[in-house]
Amino acid sequence: MRSMLTAALCALLAATLLVAALVADAMLASTVVTSPAQAQTLRDQIRIVGSSTVFPFSSFVAEELGKTTSFRTPVVESTGSGGGFKLFSAGVGTETPDITNSSRRIKKSELETCYANGMTSVVEARIGFDGIAIAQNGKNPDFKVSLEQLFLAVAEKVPSKGTLVPNPFKNWKEIDPTLPDRIILIYGPPATSGTRDAFVELVMHKAVKSFPEYEQVLGKDAKDYSAIRQDQAYVPSGENDNLIVQKLVQDKNAFGIFGYSFLEENKDRLKGAVVNGVKPEPKTVSSGEYPISRSLFFYIKADHIGKVPGLKEYVDLFMSEKMIGSRGLLRRIGLIPLPKDQLEQARRNVTTLKRLDPADVK
Amino acid sequence: MSVFQTDQSLKAATRRRLAFEKYFQWCTRIAIALAAGFLVYFLFTIGGMALPAFRQGQLLVEISYTEDVLEMPNYAVPEEYEFFVSHEFLRQLPLRMQEHPELLGTTAQEWVLAAADVDQLLKGKAHRLDAEQVRLVQELAATGHTRLAPNWDFFTKGDSKIPEAAGIEAAVVGTVYVLVITLLLSFPVGVASAIYLEEFAPDNRLTQLIEVNINNLAAIPSIIYGLLGLAIFINLLGILRSSSLVGGITLALMTLPVIIISTRAAIRAVPETLRHGALALGATPWQVMWNLVLPLAMPGILTGTIIGLAHAIGETAPLLIVGMMAYIPEAPSSVLEASTVLPAQIYTWASDSQRAFGERTAAGILVLLVVLLSMNALAIYLRNRFEKRW
Amino acid sequence: MLDSSTLLQSALLGLVPLLLIAYVLGVRRARPVASGRYFHCAPGYYGWYAVVWVGMPALGVYGLAKVLGGFRLYDVPAWATAAGMAVVAVLGLLYAISRITPEFRAIHAVEKTIMRVLLVCSCISVLTTIGIVLSIVFETIQFFKFVSVWEFLTGTTWDPDTAFLQGAGREDAGVSEAKFGSLPLFAGTFMITAIAMLVAMPVGLLAAIFMSEYASSFARKVSKPTLEILAGIPTVVYGYFAAVTVGPLVVQAAESLGFSAVYNNALAPGLVMGVMIIPFVSSLSDDVINAVPQSLREGSMAVGATQSETILRVVLPAAMPGIVSAFLLAVSRAVGETMIVVMAAGLHPNLTANPLESMTTVTVRIVDALIGDQEFNSPLTLSAFALGFVLLIITLVMNIISLYVVRRFKQHYE
Repeated sequence: MRSMLTAALCALLAATLLVAALVADAMLASTVVTSPAQAQTLRDQIRIVGSSTVFPFSSFVAEELGKTTSFRTPVVESTGSGGGFKLFSAGVGTETPDITNSSRRIKKSELETCYANGMTSVVEARIGFDGIAIAQNGKNPDFKVSLEQLFLAVAEKVPSKGTLVPNPFKNWKEIDPTLPDRIILIYGPPATSGTRDAFVELVMHKAVKSFPEYEQVLGKDAKDYSAIRQDQAYVPSGENDNLIVQKLVQDKNAFGIFGYSFLEENKDRLKGAVVNGVKPEPKTVSSGEYPISRSLFFYIKADHIGKVPGLKEYVDLFMSEKMIGSRGLLRRIGLIPLPKDQLEQARRNVTTLKRLDPADVK
Repeated sequence: MSVFQTDQSLKAATRRRLAFEKYFQWCTRIAIALAAGFLVYFLFTIGGMALPAFRQGQLLVEISYTEDVLEMPNYAVPEEYEFFVSHEFLRQLPLRMQEHPELLGTTAQEWVLAAADVDQLLKGKAHRLDAEQVRLVQELAATGHTRLAPNWDFFTKGDSKIPEAAGIEAAVVGTVYVLVITLLLSFPVGVASAIYLEEFAPDNRLTQLIEVNINNLAAIPSIIYGLLGLAIFINLLGILRSSSLVGGITLALMTLPVIIISTRAAIRAVPETLRHGALALGATPWQVMWNLVLPLAMPGILTGTIIGLAHAIGETAPLLIVGMMAYIPEAPSSVLEASTVLPAQIYTWASDSQRAFGERTAAGILVLLVVLLSMNALAIYLRNRFEKRW
Repeated sequence: MLDSSTLLQSALLGLVPLLLIAYVLGVRRARPVASGRYFHCAPGYYGWYAVVWVGMPALGVYGLAKVLGGFRLYDVPAWATAAGMAVVAVLGLLYAISRITPEFRAIHAVEKTIMRVLLVCSCISVLTTIGIVLSIVFETIQFFKFVSVWEFLTGTTWDPDTAFLQGAGREDAGVSEAKFGSLPLFAGTFMITAIAMLVAMPVGLLAAIFMSEYASSFARKVSKPTLEILAGIPTVVYGYFAAVTVGPLVVQAAESLGFSAVYNNALAPGLVMGVMIIPFVSSLSDDVINAVPQSLREGSMAVGATQSETILRVVLPAAMPGIVSAFLLAVSRAVGETMIVVMAAGLHPNLTANPLESMTTVTVRIVDALIGDQEFNSPLTLSAFALGFVLLIITLVMNIISLYVVRRFKQHYE
């Protein structure tokens, strides 16, 4: 009995030593094998990082690639657009991701970092639109609102008698008598989420131009006015959008701001507000009629093509009609397809691996 | 003041005191009952949410293997049922036809995976089908073309973006990897430090520092270990993000103090007289330790280790920070590959927009609970069976 | 052609049979020789002695090569490392064998090595602490270049929107400056902690009293594991439960009483966290209550006190320092708990006293900042480390106080 215990413990110790050595090996192996010339293939698995908005679409395509071809399923991680670019632009080699997803266009500075760190070519792929829905309980009557009215409901300061005052509105009716008699209660994305960024860009920056007061008070900063009220009328709640959905089902007063996919998934019990006379529907978003939408992208490290098996195939699959086409599979999980000509253009960029020039981006 | 009166008030006081005694006893019972009641309510709620996920809707449909199917897999099923059949099944048809060329031109009836909405409808839950589609499904059901089959895929397949095809296999494998690394790193190191500190350490500044330090480590929030993993193991030493190695090391450091503290308690519980006896026979201190004290303390050590490990498996926060919340549908084949773990998988599913993931979240939780509770049961068994009171 | 990392791994694996051979050689060498002289120690120790002399130098060479490579001082080629390992292993073996004579006291040499290994193992925990401090401090310092410490600790507005916009790539944007006043986050943390303690402290303490004073041995056998099951439930599960079940329940209950509550109110995660902490409190208090000497109870009973009076007036006061320390440890656990609040509490930095409103906590913000959509070097991401730093200090202080209290307590009765 005792000798068995001793033997078992010895075996365990030996195993531990080995693991410890392997750990040390793995920790430092990276420093030994980083020169790209040494290995023809960098990895046998694609690594993708970036925006949490693109994450569901990206992982859907990744899964399709894994299930229908002999390539391994790519690893997709949701790091946020900025975090994605940070990892992506670190250089060329095993450690850096092959693709980064983004819910905004790459910045000039980010692209320059890429090229400064040894990449020769970054290719841009535009995949579609992300609509942002202002959703409410499906049993309510249609809610028609203009961008300006929406702006007045969420802004921290609103114009009043030629100056700006803290937002006094508690009821939609106070903003405009034509709006229904409902308490303003909006569950929206928190400051850290990409949806909030989009909301600020697409609603606040557009609507602020209609009010000269902001320019009078804030000068040239006015066009970037992005402060959202901090009281209970706007409740940031992003971590679990399903909770917002539940709340909307219960509370007929509330509105929720979230990605179009959540509205699509819950269309039996929620409906989107009609903004500037347009309902949020794939058609209206795609045509640009629905005002609160933005483009989604991913960026390919062209230097890795041919070195990471399946990379080209993944990209081609993503850009295919089957995925992002007007009747593609991603539409079912909330991606809004590009209009035909723009899709053709985007696809041409990718198939020819057109290098994105820093001069072309802001 | 008469004796009688005193006696009266004394009796009243005694009655009051005894009543309070009863009342207080009940308070303590209620406290236990509250905790137990919560546990029962909790298990029932989770179980109720989880059970439907162990059965999966299937449809009996006619599959025609035509030339077109290679390009458009959905042509294989009758058009009106196209949206009822899971995309998971359809997309694999071309591969199947490439493997079995003889299928071309034939048709066959087959039970196939139903799409999530059909599955939810069959289980009587909320779905997104319109009235016409509901009628069609009900028609199928009435003619015996639908069934709820045991959902083995849930255990044998990895994560998927298609709810009806999502399983926990990859996460379970990842969890096992992480667990093994955590065990192999934290158990020997933990036991070794405990032995040293308890039996051999001279009482100097260094050992005092180590002792205070271990107690502090035990109290540090787990999320801070995540920050450590991110800064040291990923950014400084360059281990692959989201690999089970990073997760395992991080959790091992987190579990270490727990193991050290419980091992020290187990070693301390072995009576001094036994040691003295062995020393008197001429054994060296290490021989006493290795041959006498350690075997006697082993049940206590194992109990502490199992509880520490069970805690580590259920831990999520530090793993979120070292990047294990990724979408990883394939089981990793080595500890250096990206992998996910069961709690992270549960977290991902819990925040997915597709409602059919709800029951899978609960099912994943149930599986995790079963594993953890059996580990705890094992620990309790070991303690009751082997622990000696000296 | 082996690549370098495979080569090294096989060199390590190759060490295992070599160690076995060393052991066997050492043991055989130490068999009683023909002259009839016996060796000082059992043969096994000579075997282990040989193992030490083979394994340690080889691992030393390996470690040295890795350290040199890791700090980019000199890249030792893999073949050189492997060859070096082989050479020192064989040299070590030869040396060890030559030392094995009947007079040689292998046991002392082996035990000395064991002691060194044990010491190294116990230093790992110190290294962990150093690692934690190092990994947090640099980023925290960087953060405090953007935001003053005073503003961070006393500001009442947590409004990092502008910092986020910078991170998202629009430095020019922004009307109001980003504000990193952490008070609302700590208010949320302490609100939820307070709710949790209001649940956990009475229930946990009463349960401990039940188990140690009133329960029959059967009831104890059942109730102890029941509580331990509560401790075994992972926090992500508690979080899911709080978000999906308890949150809506609280809303319904509040609305039926005429209050309005939001779904991610502070009460639901607080209650659930309280349940999570019950077993923690009960097992710690159970221990200290059991540690109160039986003679105290007997003395109290002998003068006619009822059991409850004994408990409330004698046992609990005697156990008080231990209970206080249990309380402090429970608080530090609640403060650092992450998953429950990430899943069930909101993101709204809200300085309020109403638990039905949504509040956010320090840990939620750490997770949010690290997995959100922003650039890594923005003050918002760095704020995660600053928050972590404060969190670390809070838990450390509470832990040190509780250790101190326990030490006082022990001096009383032991």
